[in-house]
Amino acid sequence: MRTDAHMILTGHEILREYVAHRILIEPFDVDQLNPNSYNFRLGERLSVYRNHPVDPKQQNPVTPFRIPEHGLILRPHRLYLAHTIEVMGSDHYAPTFAARSSVARLGLFINLSASLGDIGFHGQWTLQLFAAQPLRIYSGMRIGQIMWWRPQGEIVLYNGKYQGSTGPCASQSFRDYNNDSEVA
Amino acid sequence: MILTGPEIEREAATGRIVIRPFDASDVEPNSYGFHLGPTLLAYDEPVLHPERRVRRHTTMLPTSGRTLLPERLYLGHTQEVIGSDHYAATLYACRSISTLGVWITFSAPLGHTGAIVAWTLEIRVAQPTLMYTGMRIGKVAFWRTQGTVERYRGRYEGSRTVVESRLSAEFVRHENGCTHDTDRT
Repeated sequence: MRTDAHMILTGHEILREYVAHRILIEPFDVDQLNPNSYNFRLGERLSVYRNHPVDPKQQNPVTPFRIPEHGLILRPHRLYLAHTIEVMGSDHYAPTFAARSSVARLGLFINLSASLGDIGFHGQWTLQLFAAQPLRIYSGMRIGQIMWWRPQGEIVLYNGKYQGSTGPCASQSFRDYNNDSEVA
Repeated sequence: MILTGPEIEREAATGRIVIRPFDASDVEPNSYGFHLGPTLLAYDEPVLHPERRVRRHTTMLPTSGRTLLPERLYLGHTQEVIGSDHYAATLYACRSISTLGVWITFSAPLGHTGAIVAWTLEIRVAQPTLMYTGMRIGKVAFWRTQGTVERYRGRYEGSRTVVESRLSAEFVRHENGCTHDTDRT
């Protein structure tokens, strides 16, 4: 085993690899670098699933809407799909993402136990917003952070169904099933 | 790469990792098991806002326990001061707590290099659950970094107990709403 594998990049190293085009973060602002991560911002588009129950074998219709300029109050215990303003990805490092501590302390999850991304995915990241208490959110707020990890082993790039996604991207899990049922 | 338990213990002895108080019996194969501190914080306003400080109050959690309720948000803290100027850290519930249906972090497990603090925990329970001061509640793992190290100098530096969100520090009031000033995690 290489002794330098599985390390988390420092903020300086994220900047260095961004400049070397080995990490993509667009738009990029050095003010959003942290000691071990980069802070990303909340985009203005949201989606909620329209029908219940949601079904992993079906395309679940969503209602898209936008966060107004004066913000939007999230209802608690309800799932909102959101997205990052930034397009982010790397063909060299494995990404994970997290809420910023200041955001979590307001009772907001930005993912629901799915914090790991794939090497080779590039796009706007879809966030799963889930508030424990009613919370006002604003488009453009620095809501989360992305970390980059050096892998061990041969790299096979992501070529999945979310590649290049923009905006809040609803679950495409129905594509994993062979069915011919009607899409609502 | 992730540090093993013996390496965490070795680095705690050299001072490159801070865990205070430290007890060798809490060292695990690749993490250190920490305990729940005595102070709980809850917000007093029905709607939370990131752009201004929210009214809040703290209560003491007795060693004899208190029942936490589902669908409520509690902030707690680690009894230990934990961090490192050399490694990054990530935080997890321990399995015994998670299997009782308790969250101790809301999708924010990262501890930056240089943040040596009592960690604030976001606590939520899936069902009514008794919680006790001093109970073993989670574990922290340490990771080697790649690149020049920059130490955390953020707004939670020096925390020794539970601290509410201070996101409002980076909001600037404008006529038509809020925008952001520059600040860090």
